[in-house]
Amino acid sequence: MAVFMDLNITYTTDKKRLRSVIETAAHLGYSTVAINYVVDLQQKKQEIGKPKCVLELFDTFPIVQGKSRPIKVLNRLTVVASDPSHFRPNAEYKAYDLVAVYPKTEKLFHAACMTFDVDIICVAVTEKQPFFFKRSPVNGAIERGVFFEISYTPAIRDSTMRRYTIANAISLMETCKGKNVIVTSGAEKPLELRGPYDIANLVLLFGLSEGDGKAAISTNCRAVHLHGETRKTALGIVHTMKKDQPLTERQEEEHVPVSKRAKIETV
Amino acid sequence: MRRAHIQDQPATYERLVYKNTSLYHYMRISLQLENESTRLSAAQLKQLICSGLRDLYGESNVLQTSDFPFYLLSNQTFPLFRSLFLFVSFSGLVKLWSALTLLGSYQNELCSFRVTQVSPFLLTLSGNSRELELD
Repeated sequence: MAVFMDLNITYTTDKKRLRSVIETAAHLGYSTVAINYVVDLQQKKQEIGKPKCVLELFDTFPIVQGKSRPIKVLNRLTVVASDPSHFRPNAEYKAYDLVAVYPKTEKLFHAACMTFDVDIICVAVTEKQPFFFKRSPVNGAIERGVFFEISYTPAIRDSTMRRYTIANAISLMETCKGKNVIVTSGAEKPLELRGPYDIANLVLLFGLSEGDGKAAISTNCRAVHLHGETRKTALGIVHTMKKDQPLTERQEEEHVPVSKRAKIETV
Repeated sequence: MRRAHIQDQPATYERLVYKNTSLYHYMRISLQLENESTRLSAAQLKQLICSGLRDLYGESNVLQTSDFPFYLLSNQTFPLFRSLFLFVSFSGLVKLWSALTLLGSYQNELCSFRVTQVSPFLLTLSGNSRELELD
C-alpha cells in the first residue's frame, strides 16, 4: 500500500509553528507533507514568490512513526483565481513541486479541468459552491490525471463550514463517482491534524467507499506527487498509468511500436 | 463406487455466516489538549463526546441509546497523556469515529482526539507496538 501523505499544510512565517505541525504529522504517520503557499490572483499585481527552501526548516527531519525514514516535505503553490487569463504558467511555477488551482467560477473550473497544467483542483469547503459540477469537465480531468482536493480542517473549526464541506464533498462524489479525489488537512496548528485512518473513516460520510477513502489519502496522493514530478522533468502532461516514467526516458524507447506508446501531449 | 458399509448418515455440519466481525467494537483513544495541564473527569469527557455527536448528527441520534451505546470502561490518567476505552456497537462505530475526528474544541480550547486503536476484541487493545520501547 502506498504511504500516507498530507498535501496541504498552510505556510506560516512562524517557523516554530510550522515545525511543530510537521513534527505532529510525522508522529501521526504521514510520510510526506506539502507546504502550501496560497496566492490570490484576483487582487491586483500579486507576486508569486519563490518557496522557502525546505532544508532551512529542519536540520534533521523528524522520523515518521512506524518507519525509519524521515518525513519528506514538498512545496506546493495554490492559485486562487476567477479568470483564465490570470493563470499563466511561467518559470516561477517550476520551483514548486505541486501546483494547485482554486477556481472561483464555472468558466475557470472548466478551463482548469481540461487545459491547465495543474495537479490539483481545490474544491471549496468554506463557502457554498458557486457553480455546479458538470460531468464533462470532471471526466476530462479524471482522464488527464488531475485530482480534486477536499480539505477537512475548516470542518473541525466551525459548524457552518462543516455543512459546506459535507455538502460540497457529496456533490463532488456524485459527479466523479469517487475517483481522483484526495483529502488533505489545510492545518495551521498541530492540533488541527488528524490521523490517516481517522480521515479514511471521515470520508465515508462524504459518500466514498472504504477502499476509495483509503486511496484518497495514500494512492491518489502518490499519483499527484508523481504528476507534479513529471511536470518538472519534461514540461508534459502524462497519463499516470501503472508504470510512470518521466518523458525523457520514454523517448529513448524507440523499439516500442508507436501503437503501444502511451498517449502524450506536450504543452 | 461407494462402499455400503460406511455409515450412511449424511454428514452434518452447521454453517455460520458472519457478516460483521463482531457486534461490538472497542476503541482506545486519547485526548490531546492545547493546555497540557487541564484534567477532565469522566463525566466531562462523556459530555464532550456526546456534544461532538450532537454537533455532527443532531439531537435525535444522541438520544437513541439503543443505536450505539457507549461506555467509558476506564479512564487511566497517565502522566503524559490520558487514554480512554470506548465500547460501541458496530453500526455506531463510523458515527462515533467521525464525531471524534471532527471534534475541535473544548471550552474554547483547541483539542483533538487521537484514536490509537480500534478492534473488535478487547484484549488486543492491551498491546500497542507504537509505544513499545525496545531496550
